[in-house]
This record gives sequence, structure tokens and C-alpha cells, in this order.
Amino acid sequence: MAEKIIIVKNVSKTFPKVVAVNNLSFEVEAQTCFGCLGPNGAGKSTMMKIIYGKCTRDEKPMSQMSIFGYDPKDQELKIKYQSGVVPQDNNLDDELNVIQNLMIYSKFYNIPARLARERIAYLLDFLELSEKANSRITELSGGMKRRLVIARALLNNPRLLILDEPTTGLDPQVRHLIWDKLRLLKKEGTTILLTTHYMEEAFQICDTVMIMHKGQRIIEGPPRDLLAKNIEKYVLELLDAGALQDKFNDSMREQVRIDRSQQGTRLFSNNYDYLKTLAGSMESENYYLRQTNLEDVFLKATGRGLSETQ
Amino acid sequence: MHRRRIINTLRKLTTQTTKLAKESKRVFPPLYWRLYSVWYRHMRVYTKNIFSNGLPPFLEPLLFLAGVGLGLGTYITQSMEGLSYLEFLGTGLLVTAAMFTAAFECSFGTFIRLEFDKVYDGMLASPLTVNDLIVGEIIWAGTKGLFFSFAVLCILAIFGVIHLPYSLLAPLVGFLTGTMFAVISLLITSFVRTINQLNFFFTGFISPMFFFSGVVFPTSNLPSYIQPLVEIVPLTHSVRLVRAVCANHYQMIHLWDLFYIVAFILVVGFFAVKRLRRRMVN
Ligand SMILES: Nc1ncnc2c1ncn2[C@@H]1O[C@H](COP(=O)(O)OP(=O)(O)OP(=O)(O)O)[C@@H](O)[C@H]1O
Ligand SMILES: [Mg+2]
Repeated sequence: MAEKIIIVKNVSKTFPKVVAVNNLSFEVEAQTCFGCLGPNGAGKSTMMKIIYGKCTRDEKPMSQMSIFGYDPKDQELKIKYQSGVVPQDNNLDDELNVIQNLMIYSKFYNIPARLARERIAYLLDFLELSEKANSRITELSGGMKRRLVIARALLNNPRLLILDEPTTGLDPQVRHLIWDKLRLLKKEGTTILLTTHYMEEAFQICDTVMIMHKGQRIIEGPPRDLLAKNIEKYVLELLDAGALQDKFNDSMREQVRIDRSQQGTRLFSNNYDYLKTLAGSMESENYYLRQTNLEDVFLKATGRGLSETQ
Repeated sequence: MHRRRIINTLRKLTTQTTKLAKESKRVFPPLYWRLYSVWYRHMRVYTKNIFSNGLPPFLEPLLFLAGVGLGLGTYITQSMEGLSYLEFLGTGLLVTAAMFTAAFECSFGTFIRLEFDKVYDGMLASPLTVNDLIVGEIIWAGTKGLFFSFAVLCILAIFGVIHLPYSLLAPLVGFLTGTMFAVISLLITSFVRTINQLNFFFTGFISPMFFFSGVVFPTSNLPSYIQPLVEIVPLTHSVRLVRAVCANHYQMIHLWDLFYIVAFILVVGFFAVKRLRRRMVN
């Protein structure tokens, strides 16, 4: 059995007004990518902060954590020394330029200056930022800043890379570039823990996906299994359910699962032909028939309506 | 057969030692290095604009001396505590310069790093603890105090207001003063919710201190009911100590001053770290 890099058992985090993480347990194996999905306010960032010691978990006798065998409660330095963190907000030092930002951090890790310069040159090249080496932080685009934060997290050659929404707000090219780099890192032995709102991202790079809601784990598994086990194969999305009103009867309910919300009505089924026949009677701009994806699983698992914490 | 076993054991041993070497390299930096690296970060940011940051500490005492030496001072002919007014005020400036720079650094500076720039959030993801971060910052503010004191010293020495070599020790008092005002400013900052509240700290605490700690005039003639207050505030002790250093004339009371300063730094520093920790780790 592969080594477990992260073990989290019965961990909770209570803020004055809200329980951000509620009795959560999960494990991450070495050299895999573990993705954490969940609506805004689900507690993803809080969970990550607990892992690298930025948040303290609730004192509970049952709760247990082990990152490389260390507990963040009293061995945060050992964990942080072997991890790289990309927080949800870029927190680069605006007062310094690109190279200086990285040089300062290399000092925090006590990397000798000559080695640090080599490593920085390599990382800037790796994340395609070499041209910006001497730019001010304020001159960088959002995507460049994000890549720079990733470079910063890689300075110490971490065994564990923690990424909180690494690609939110980035264009497709940059997103694909980051995915490629993450795949490469995983191949070289890095363990990756990431959160994302992009189902595509989870599907592309995660070996295991956990869907969280209100601080709790809803489901967990390899992305493909989640699809196979938790949702029908096809979905017919109706923009105007009125057209099919007369067909909503018991015989239809045997064939499909109906999901109604403000955004429209969705009919889920494993029977493609049946959905196709249903759709046949409608104008083509009124419906969309497709395979289900992780997003459908996500919406099914976390509920379609907004909760007050989002 | 026998040989193969030996080779095998040997091989196992070497892989283990290389593994061990790898492991032992995985040891986080020691305390002194962590403090130094935080200090280094602040130093780099400060020296990045060497001209606009490095010149004012020299210009300010120059202006002060010009104003006092050419203007105000000509009206004040009485000696103060046995010093000419220029020397009296000049030696006071050695520590007020340190006070102002450290107080700004650890109030507005710290608040901005904490709330707006989120600099600390990033640093805390690297192998640094909250304590490293805050203590490193205090040491940096002390260093700035030392530098500002030194700048005043240079100007005073150039114009022959004070005498070398004894006063060369004055920047050390500047360091202590900077450290003292760093810890009190951090403690205040830990209570502050919006940056404007810091203005109260400056108008209510720092500015009065400038006038009632024996910098501008001797406190001995102040009404007796104010005297205990004078003795409580930190700057009084810095001023007395720095004048003793410049005159190379020490008394028992200066031991008390030194004790006060060190105790102040330790006690207030302890609470500052404790309270700021709660704002950085939740
Ligand atoms: N420092 C804090 N003090 C009080 N409440 C907090 C704090 N940080 C987070 N919370 C609350 O904890 C809950 C979980 O927040 P968290 O940031 O972990 O969510 P998230 O899953 O990362 O959401 P998002 O996708 O929007 O980033 C939210 O209800 C949030 O309001
Ligand atoms: Mg988040």
C-alpha cells in the first residue's frame, strides 16, 4: 500500500458564527493528486489552512492529523519546510520585483544564494516567466502573478504542494499550462492537494476527488467512478419545460429522474434513446441533450439552490 | 554466497545512509536564521529605495538644528541640566528619531502588511512561526532606531554639538528605544480595527511623549503631580540614558533606566506577540 502523506481524521473547525469544517476525514496517498470541490463557504480553504498551520483545529479528543507523520498543531515548521503553498489570494510582496520576491523566500527556506539563483532561473523558465524576471509585481497580469506564486511554492522542491484554487480567473491557455506543470510535478513524485471550482480541472488532473458541503464530506472517489456511481449517463436540459408538460406522467418518471430548479428542468436517464424521443418533439433551441459530467454530480450532491453561507 | 550477502548488506547500508542524508537535509532552519530572514526581508524592502528612505533621517536633524541654532536657540540662553540648549535638544533627538521611526514601522507599517498587503499570510506559509515573524519585526524596528540615531549622531558630530568618542555608543540607546516603541506599537496595533484609529496613538501617546519626557525642556521644573507620570512613560528613560552616554557620566539612576527599558521590552513584547498571534492564526 502506498504511503499516506496526509491523514485527517474527525477534524472540525468552529468559527464564532459558523462551523467551517465539520468532522471531516480523508487521506491522501503519496504521489497522487487529491482534489477538493465544494460550493463557496464549504470550508475548503479552512481545511487547507489547518494543514499548514494557518488555522488551528478544534480541540477534540477524537481528532487526529498527520502530514508526513507530523501534527500541524505542534510541528508546523517540519510540515511547512517540506510543503509549498499557493493560497487562494496572491500575496506577493508588491514592494519587491519578481526575482526579489523569490530570493526573499529562498532565505526563509535557508537555501544558499547560489543554489537559490539557479533554482529561481529554473522555476521562472518552468512557469514561462523568464522574461518577467525583473518586472515589478504591479506590472504582472493575473495569470503571471498566479504562476509566480506557484513558482514561489516550488522553491524548496516540496514533497507536498497545496493549491487553493490555482486557476480561478485565468484564461484557458494559462489554465492548461498549469495543468501540464502539475501533471509533470506529480510524475516527479510530488503529492498535490488542490481545491477548484472547475469540474474540468478536477477531471483532468485529480486522481481522487472529494466533494464538500457545509464543512462535511459528501462523496469521494476517482472522478470517473463518481460519475459512474452517482449519476445517470445522460441529461436532457429543458429551457422551456412547458413544451413537455403533458408528458410529465408516471410512465415518464419510471424512465427519468426529474430535477427542477429556477434555471430550468433537467431530465436524467441512462436511456439515451428515450431522452432523444422526448426531445424530438421540441424545437432545437429549447433543449440540450448531452452526457452528464462532474458538474452534474456536484450539483446533485450539494443541492442546486444557494445556501446562506455562499 | 557469503560475499554476496556482504555486498547486499553493504548496498542496503549505503542506500540507507543516502536516504538519511536526504532526510537530515529536510530540517527546517534554526531560530536565529528564521529571525534573520524576517529581518532581511524588511531590510531589503527598506533599502530598495535607498535614496528616499535613507536621506530624510539625515535631513531632519539638520533642519532641526538649523531652526534651533539660528532661531529659537538664540533666545534661550539659560543652560539646561548643565548643557547648552543646542546640546540639550540635540541629544534628545538621538532617541526621539528612533522612537518615531519604530513607532511608524510597527503601527502603520505592520497594519498595512497585516490587513492590506497580506504579506504575513504568505510568509506564514513558509517555515516561519508567528513568533519568528513578530520578533524578527521587532528586531528590525530596533535596527531602524539604531540607524536613525546614528544619522542624528552624524549631523550633531559634524556641527560639533556633541563630542566623540563616547557618544558613539548613543545609537545603542537608539536600538533599545526603537525596540521599546516597536513592542508598544505592536500591542496597540493588535487592538486596532481600522487604520485611522492609529492616529489616536500618535496624537494621544507619541506626541505628548515628545514634550513631557525631558527632550525639549527639563522635567524637573514640572509640577510635582506630573512627576510620577514622567517617570512612567518610556521615553524619559531613553532620554536620560542617552544623555548619560553622551556625557560619559553614569549614576545609579541610569541603571534603573536600563532596567526599565529591558523590562518594558520583555513584558510589553510578550503581550504584543500573544495578541498579534490571534490575528495571524485563527
Ligand atoms: N477567519 C475567519 N473567521 C470567521 N469565519 C471564517 C473565517 N474564515 C472562514 N470563515 C467562514 O468559514 C466558512 C468556510 O470558509 P472557507 O474560506 O473555508 O470556504 P471555501 O470552501 O474556501 O469557499 P470559497 O470557495 O469561496 O473559497 C465560511 O462560512 C466563512 O465565512
Ligand atoms: Mg476558499
